[in-house]
Formats: sequence, structure tokens, C-alpha cells
Amino acid sequence: MTSRLHHTLGVAAVAAGALVLSACGSGASGGSSAAGAGSITLYNAQHESLTKEWVDAFTKQTGIKVTVRNGSDTELSNQIMQEGQASPADVFLTENSPAMTQVENAGLFADVDKATLAQVPEQYRPSTGKWVGIAARSTVLVYDKRKVQENRLPASMLDLAKPEWKGRWAASPSGADFQAIVSALLELKGEAATNDWLTAMKTNAKVYKGNSTAMKAVNSGEVDTALIYHYYYYGDQAKTGENSANLGTHYFKHQDPGAFVSVSGGGVLKSSKNAAAAQSLLKFITGKTGQEVLEKGTSFEYAVGSDVPSNPALVPLKELQAPTVDPAKLNSATVTDLMTKAGLL
Amino acid sequence: MGVGPAERGRLEVRELAKSFGAQQVLRGVTLSVEPGGTTAIVGPSGSGKTTLLRLIAGFERADAGTVVLSGRGLAGGDTWVPAHHRDVGYVAQDGALFPHLTVGQNIAFGMERATGARARRATRTRVGELLEMVSLDAALAERRPHEISGGQQQRVALARALAREPELMLLDESFSALDAGLRVATRRTVGAVLRDAGITTVLVTHDQAEALSFADQVAVMRDGLLAQVDSPLEVYTRPVDRATAEFLGDAVLLEAWVDGDSASCSLGSVRLAPTTLRGRVQLMLRPEQIRVDEHGPIRGVVLDTDYFGPESTVRLELTSGREPGCETSTLAREGQVISIRHSSAFIAARGTELRLRIEGDAIAFPPKP
Amino acid sequence: MTTDLTAPDARRATVVGTAAAPGPGTRSGPASGRRRPPVLAVIAVLIALFSLMPLGYVAVMTVTTGWETASTLIFRARVGELLLNTVLLMLVSVPLCVVLGVGGAWLVERTRLRGNRFWALALAAPLAIPAFVNSYGWVSAVPSLAGLWSGVLISVLSYFPLVYIPAAATLSRLDPALEESAASVGLGPWQVFRRVVLPQLRLAMTGGALLVGLHLLSEYGAFAMIRFDTFTTAIMVQFQSTFNGAAGNMLASVLVVLCLLLLVAEVRSRGTARYARVGSGGQAAPGRMPLGRLHVPAQLGLLLLVGLAVGVPMWFVVRWVVLGGSSIWAPDELVPALVQTLLYGLVGAAATTVVAFPMAFLAVRRPSWFTRSLELSNYVTSSMPGIVVGLAFVTVSIRLFPSVYQTAVVLVAAYVLLFLPRALVSLRSGLAQAPRELEEAAQALGVRPFLAFVRVTLRLAAPAAAGGAALVFLAIVNELTATLLLSPNGTRTLATQFWAKSSEIDYAGAAPYALLMVVLSAPMTYLLFQQSKKAAGQ
Repeated sequence: MTSRLHHTLGVAAVAAGALVLSACGSGASGGSSAAGAGSITLYNAQHESLTKEWVDAFTKQTGIKVTVRNGSDTELSNQIMQEGQASPADVFLTENSPAMTQVENAGLFADVDKATLAQVPEQYRPSTGKWVGIAARSTVLVYDKRKVQENRLPASMLDLAKPEWKGRWAASPSGADFQAIVSALLELKGEAATNDWLTAMKTNAKVYKGNSTAMKAVNSGEVDTALIYHYYYYGDQAKTGENSANLGTHYFKHQDPGAFVSVSGGGVLKSSKNAAAAQSLLKFITGKTGQEVLEKGTSFEYAVGSDVPSNPALVPLKELQAPTVDPAKLNSATVTDLMTKAGLL
Repeated sequence: MGVGPAERGRLEVRELAKSFGAQQVLRGVTLSVEPGGTTAIVGPSGSGKTTLLRLIAGFERADAGTVVLSGRGLAGGDTWVPAHHRDVGYVAQDGALFPHLTVGQNIAFGMERATGARARRATRTRVGELLEMVSLDAALAERRPHEISGGQQQRVALARALAREPELMLLDESFSALDAGLRVATRRTVGAVLRDAGITTVLVTHDQAEALSFADQVAVMRDGLLAQVDSPLEVYTRPVDRATAEFLGDAVLLEAWVDGDSASCSLGSVRLAPTTLRGRVQLMLRPEQIRVDEHGPIRGVVLDTDYFGPESTVRLELTSGREPGCETSTLAREGQVISIRHSSAFIAARGTELRLRIEGDAIAFPPKP
Repeated sequence: MTTDLTAPDARRATVVGTAAAPGPGTRSGPASGRRRPPVLAVIAVLIALFSLMPLGYVAVMTVTTGWETASTLIFRARVGELLLNTVLLMLVSVPLCVVLGVGGAWLVERTRLRGNRFWALALAAPLAIPAFVNSYGWVSAVPSLAGLWSGVLISVLSYFPLVYIPAAATLSRLDPALEESAASVGLGPWQVFRRVVLPQLRLAMTGGALLVGLHLLSEYGAFAMIRFDTFTTAIMVQFQSTFNGAAGNMLASVLVVLCLLLLVAEVRSRGTARYARVGSGGQAAPGRMPLGRLHVPAQLGLLLLVGLAVGVPMWFVVRWVVLGGSSIWAPDELVPALVQTLLYGLVGAAATTVVAFPMAFLAVRRPSWFTRSLELSNYVTSSMPGIVVGLAFVTVSIRLFPSVYQTAVVLVAAYVLLFLPRALVSLRSGLAQAPRELEEAAQALGVRPFLAFVRVTLRLAAPAAAGGAALVFLAIVNELTATLLLSPNGTRTLATQFWAKSSEIDYAGAAPYALLMVVLSAPMTYLLFQQSKKAAGQ
């Protein structure tokens, strides 16, 4: 009887020990001093699969281990701000720029290496040089080809606020992607117009959690259109196409807010304990090998650095007629406030 | 240790007092038990009997007083010997057998841990001996406590306590949870075992019949004090006060007037046990002292009969009221109802007139205020 | 979130087992007689304070946000929407769960239903499927599932066992003498049920209803998948947008108030009547009534219920696993997730049991108003949703204990806090099986007090402690929200991986994780079922 008790206690002790060790392992790369040049911590808001490709290739090339913490843009940016100087993060990657601006304005980014900055054209990075674009995505309206004719599609994103679009478009307001689109609208048209548009959205739009879910809903005939980013469509088409078979894509163009191209950013934290390795990760991502992952891989996001062309399946960036938006001016805090006031959050 | 054989197992309790919060449970209990003797502490619920036992066992600490066993101080003043060093056996009300062990393992619990085949064999043999001592089949050793009957559990608990050959054995209402028939048999077995082994025993019970039959010394406890400590016969026939008398058995109580060494009452003149009381008293007789006798001086009419096999309790109304010798009119109560006992062959119908006489002495108590 | 199904009954637990209640004249006091320093009491108080931390966090947050901001954030249309959704959800789901739970329990325990042993377990089986896996299965079946009625469907199917299990356990221990006396006074079967059986089921029903309500308030994954907005989903959304913003915290404070209201309602509705047998004598087993014409409909009804609750999700999980083929079984992702889940589960379960011990010991051996209020504080915390606890830990660890921030310590501490009551309830009933008298008997047999404690009390309480630990393990395996908030970088558990995959509508990729979670949960659910049968009626 007692031997069984001892046995159980022994197993528990071993388990506890193992967990403590593993915790030390994962925590050490964060809080305490990093184990030499061997590892860095990445706060990643980009799609896990894309980042995994980057990280795997990076580790293969340099031998530097990367511990990844996944989250969403603003979740992680706010977390970094709360953590302040004690943050365990070395590198921060996002899907959209407002979160980068937020962290930059809090003074938490270190200067990006000149060599890395040189790899990325000016329109895809802020003039302050505190962070750099790593990829880009375009806003698009996907629509159910069976139900909506091309000539009945809205000319502008602002048309979606009109009564005839009630219940006919979907979006994911809880996601940072959509919040970035709203931030572009805010920057381009001002607070009053944005407020009106959001209030109308509350009545008109069907809310989904995640762009993929919204796209799937359009495909299954639940709703006519969805305002998402382009790569969800292409990504699904490249796989089985089961969530996009019935869809067409409508690019607003003409510098409409709905033609907004959002820049995914990457930055090195000032609090990084392994700045050299952190900078090298950023250099790798914006370098030829890193950008080729975008060209040849399955993420279908636009490449921005080292003159690497984007995936041939995509509509070329030049043809999108995107509005000019300074990534540094996109304000996410105001956006969440406005959306909270409108009752969307 | 220097304890002479005459001292081994002598229990001396002096002025033991214990309160729980505001309630004082024991107020100064003094008790002696001869080595090898058996004492029953009897009293109503809440009188403090179990507390006394737990103090002797060492499960609680007294506020005042001493406990001395075999000349060795166990508690009192600066001395405190914890329970596991006291060499006192304790059998709780329901046996308190360990449910996760077999009967054999229970019994062996207090023995030295057996390592090695020979030691284990020795333990098994001893367990078998102990089972035999309490008249249980050796095959019971493999069973679990919940698989044996209540009486068997009690005896196993006793065997377990006996395994350590203690100097003193404490039984806390050990037979109270058993069915009537089983109770008597178990009591006899246990009593015999302890007597043969010469172990000093203290039994706590609320059943007066059990106390009177089991022990050679009865201590009556009431309100935290021992009202009387004496042999069973003395305690029953010569109770020290009315409450003790009523607790230990049925009592017929009558108003009476003492006159020399007899008293007069509705039963006429009754012989009195030696007493210093004079004048008005309360007289106590046991029902079995009032016998049916066709030549008896007392007359009564039967009201009802309670036949319960070996005997009947007959309630009758006395009709012999104004007898010579009952001076005070208030004493000669027409129609006083008393209960008597009679053997089974006699069943009196209601309304029958019976004649009675008194056997033995009556006890005098101070009158009811 | 807690499934202390035995809590309502066990709260009235008296000493059980081979020993009767402490006999007349015994008092509860220190066994050794010495004035021991109140070490245990101090430890218990510290644990209680620790467990009140989330509540304190919410209160402090509300206060520091300032009344103006707080009122604009709380009294707005969105909160009204959320409140409406939540209240409607509870008003519809909870009674449905009670009806299904009690009905199922009655069919299984008190009628001559064929195959009732199978049904007894089958009706408890939905507990092995986490609600978000249930939702995942249903969304695969009916992709357009959304809104209140879908929420009700998922809730009822996932949570009716929380009422069924205590109800079944109580029904199996009911004293038939009560019903027979009622029948002999001329009451018909339905009246007997209504006036004699139902009142005795009150504890099970109110306790189960409370649990269902609390689960509903704290469920995130299931409702997010069907686009049904509740406080918890909104808090999560706020968290993802603002990390620790005021709006999210205000929503959390409203949620906490709702939970406390539920608690109060349950305590009030429990009533003061005694439910134990009065009088001596043994108790016969309750009788079973024949079903006659109702037999086939009853079987069909049960089949439908279990089919919807277990059949549908499991069918789709298996279907996705099959459709996904071998590519979804990626060992380099699956194995670490499995290992980490197991480790967290084991360590969390062990830690929780150890932490629960002082309080359980005090509650059983030295019951008093003090120990009861300690227990009450635990009970209050157990009703906190995982997300609130997670938020509290994040803030407190960032601001006050940065060295443990984002380490496994904080996550395990959160698990301990969330699931302490499960371990407490089991430990308490286990310790009740080991009354002080047994330890004293051991001491009288010459065994040192500490050894007596280990050899007797610990040994006797061990099975119940293990049972409690198993329940905590089950809870940790299925926990999503606090894990999402608190896990250290690089942590993957089955639940978080499942969630990541299904959020990207990679349903096939999520399937192996769902399957593994169900496989891990199944034995624990069985244990829960067995344990509640033992503890009821005592």
C-alpha cells in the first residue's frame, strides 16, 4: 500500500522536475539572460505557417534558435507595451502596421540596421527607421459569383454603409486585419466619416471571427460579400478550393480606402538581450531568401524586399492603385476606441 | 523500571478536571483501580465518562489532576506522556478497525514491523493466538473489517489492543452498538479474556445492567463527578442518593417516617438500612423486594400487568392505607400506585386483590424538598 | 471552472464509513492535547486570500479606471447586447439542462429501462467532449449554425450531464420508505414524484444548475465558433485588441457580478431542509417502476439525446481525421503538444491536491465558522471564468512579480486557483472516511502521531485524493482561455493547438487534437461518474 503511494509520489516528482526544467528552458530565453548567441524570442502576429517557414529557414542558415510566441497584432503590441523594458521579446513581427506604430510611439523599438533598411523600398517602411516592412496584403471584397453580378458591386468601400448593403457583407472586426483597414479609413477620411461608417457597419455587416470564416460563409451562400485580405482567397484556391470555389475577387482600386495595402512590419525591441541575432533575423526575412518564401511559398502575401517579385498568381501591386498611406500615421488605439463606441467590440 | 508486581496495572486517577470552552465536563474525578481489576464507569449521556477515558488514554489533556499507572505518572503537573507511549489499550465504541487493512493486519498494526520470512511467520502465529483468545476463527484474519459482524469487529479490536500486552485496557461503550443478544455474549467473552490475562480494565457504559454484570467495581458518574464507587451489589442495594438509585434500576419511592430502625409508610412498617436520617424521609425499595405473599400484611388491587416472558411487572393500587404506625395522615395515602415484579407463572388479572410483603431493607433518602 | 458535482451534497457531509459520528462526549480538539501553533490555519488563510486574488483584481481595476470611464464602458449598447444574449442563453439552457438531466436520471435509476447500465454511462459521456470540440463537430455538420438557438443547442448538449450526474447519484440513494409512505396516504405516482422525489432532488438540481450557469458564463471557444457573442467572447476580443485595456476589464467586472449573482441564487434556492435519513434502521434500495408503453419512446429519446451530444461531434471528428489522412498527424507538432498537456495536467493536478489539503483537513477535523468561510472564499473563486483569472494573473505578474511572468509557474498557479474546489471536494469526502478516532486508535497502539497520520489518514484519503487529482487533470486538459492568456512562449497544449488550427478553419488539422483530448478525457469522466455515485446522499 505504502509502496504504491511512494511510487505515485515518485512519478509526480519526476513530472514536476521535468516541467520545471522545460519551463526554465522556455523561460530562460525570455526573462533571464539569453544563452549566448544561440537563441532569440520572437513575438509573432503573422500567420504561424508563414513565420514557421521563415524561422525554420533562418535557423537552418544561422543555427540561431527562435522561440515563437504567437498572438494577434494588437494583443502582442499591447503586451510589449505593458512589459516595457522587462519584455522578453527580441523581435516583433506583425500582419499590419498600426501595431508597429503603437510600439514605436512607446519608444520601445531599436533602430533597424541600415543594411536591412536598404533592402526594402521607402513606401514600405516608416521614415524613422524604427521598423521595416516584411510583406504586404491588399484589401479585397470577395463575392458570391452565383448571387452577385459584377456590375452590382460597390464602387467604393464607403458604399457598404448604404442601406442596400444591409446584411450583405461580412467582416471580422475583432481581427487586427480589419482594424488596420479601419485605421486607413480613419487616416484617409477622418474621424467623423469613420464613425458614421462604423455605425452603419453595426447594422449592415455580419460579424465573423476570422477572415477565413468570413470567406467560407460567402462561399457557402450565407452572405453575399466579405471584406478581407487577398491572400485568404489565393491560399484557399491553391489548396482544395473548397472555401472559395464560388467566389470572385473585387479590387476597389482608384485610391479608394478599400484598396488599402497593409504593410506587415518587423522590428527589433530595445529591450532585446541579443540584438545582433535579432537584427540578423530581420535582415534574413527582408533578404532574398526570406522574400522568396513569399514568392514561392503558400502564404500568397506580397513580397516587398530585395526586389523579389511576388507570387505570380497574384494581381501585381502596381495594378492595385492603392491609396498612399503613411504607415507611421495609422493609429490603432483610436480605432479600437471608435469600434468599441460603435458597439463592434 | 522498578515496578513491583503488585503495582503493575494499578490505576490512580486524582482530582481530574477538564473543561471544553465554557462547559466544565469533569470537576475533580478520583478513582482507583486495583491491578487486574475491572471497573465500570456508568452514567447518563453527557456525564463526562468518555472524556475521562480519553484523558486516561492520553487523547486529551486535563486542566488539573493526575493520572498514575503502575506507579508511573502519565499526566499531571509537568508530566505529560503522549498516547503512543502510554502502554494503554483503547477499544473505541465501534471498534475503529482500519478499513484498508485485513483483520490480521489490523491486529498486527501495533506489533513490531516484520521484516524477513521468519518474523512474518512469527507475527502470523501471534495473530492466530490472539484471534483464538477472543474466540474467533483464525480464518478471519484474511477478511476485511466490513465483511465481519459487529460483534466480531469488537473482538478483533480487542485482540488488536491485546497484541501489545498493555497494562491497562480502556473500553469505550464497546458493547453499546451491538444487538441485545450479541451484546451479552461478547461481553462475557471479552470479560473472560481480560480477567484471564490479568489486565486492569476500565469500561465506560451507559447501560447499568452491563456495568453491574461486567465489573467488580462500579463507579457512578454524574455531572462530572463520581457519585459512588463501590462493588456492584453495594451500589445497587445501597445507592448513595436518589439519582444513583434511579439510574441503576427501577425504584419504588415512597414517603415515610423514620422511627428507630424502621420506617412507616403506605406499605406499613418497613425495615431500614442503617441511616442517620430521622423524621420524614423518602424510602427506596427495588421492585423485586416487594413479593406477592398470600399472608403478607400489605394489600393492593391490580391495575395492569406487563408480561415480558421471564417476569411480569404488575402495577397495583395499595388499599392498605390506615395502618397502625402511620402517624401522619398524609403518609397514609389511599390509592398509591406501585410497581412490583413477579415471576412468569403468575399473571394477575385486573382487579385481583394481592397481598404483599417486603424482603430486605429499604434505603432512606432525604425527603423531596 | 469547476465541476464539483458533489459539492452541494458534500458540503453537508458528516463522518461516514465504518466509524459512526463522534460518540457522545467527544469534542473536536487537538488530538495530541497540546496547544499546536495554528500552522494549518495560517496556511489555509493564505491560500484563501490567494484564491480571492482575481476578485480583488477586478475590484481594483474597476476602481482605478475611474467611475466616468467605467460607466461609459459598462453602460453602453454593446454591453446591453451581451447581457441580453447571456441572460437569454441561461434562461433557456439551464432549465432545459435540468429537465434533461433529471429526466435522464430518473429513467436510468428508477425505471425498468432496458440497458440502463449502458445508458447511465452514456448520459455522462458528453462531459468527455469539451464544449468547443462539440461546437467544432456541429459546425462541421451544419456550417450555418449561429446565434442564440445554436448556442442553446451546444450548451444543452454539452452541459446537461452536470445535472444528470448528481441527480442520478441522489436518485439511486433515495429512501423508498418515503415514497411508500406517500403512496400509502393516497398520492398517485406523479404526485409522489412531485412532492416527495423532487424536493429530495433539490440539492442536485440547484447545484447542477449553478454549474451549468457558470460554465455558460465562462465558455469561450464553443460560442466563438458559432458566432454567438457573450461576455467571455467579447472579453477575449478586447484582449486581442487591447491586451489589458479598460474595456476588457470592465466587461470582466460585469461578468464577475453575474457569477456572484448566480452563486447567491443557488445558495438561496438550496433551502434549509435536511435531506438525510432521520431515524435508525437500514435503508432498502429504491424500487424501479415498469415503463410499459413508454419504453420504446424512452429508448428512442435517450438515443436521440446521446446521439446528438456524443454521436454528432465524434462522427465529425473521426470524419475529419479520416479525410485529413496521414498528413495531419505531424509528430513534431502533435507530440510536443501531447507531452506538454500531460505534464501540465499532472503537475497541475498534484499541485492542486497538495494546496487543497490544509483546507480540506481543517474543514473535516475542525469545522467551525472560520473554516466554512474559508471554503466559501474558494467556492466564490471557483465560479470565476478562466479568462478573468488569466487576466488577473497577467496583470499581477507583470506589475508585481515580473520574474515569474510568462513562466509555467504562473500558468500552474492559475490552474490551481481555477480547480482548487474540485480537489477540495474529493479530499474532503476522503478525509471524512478517515475520522480522528482511527488515528487515535493507531496512537493507542504505540504508533507515533505523525506516522499514525500517514499510515491511517493519508492512506485512507489517498483514493479520494487521487480521484480529485484526476478531475483536475481532466479540467486542465480541456482548459482553453487561461492557457491562451498565460502560457509561456512556445507552449503548445492540445487545446491551444486545436484552437489555432480551427481558427484558421483548418478543421482537418484540428481533428487529431480534438481526438486526443477526448481520449484523454474519457477515463477521467468515467472516474467522475463513479465518484459522484459514492459521495451522494452522504
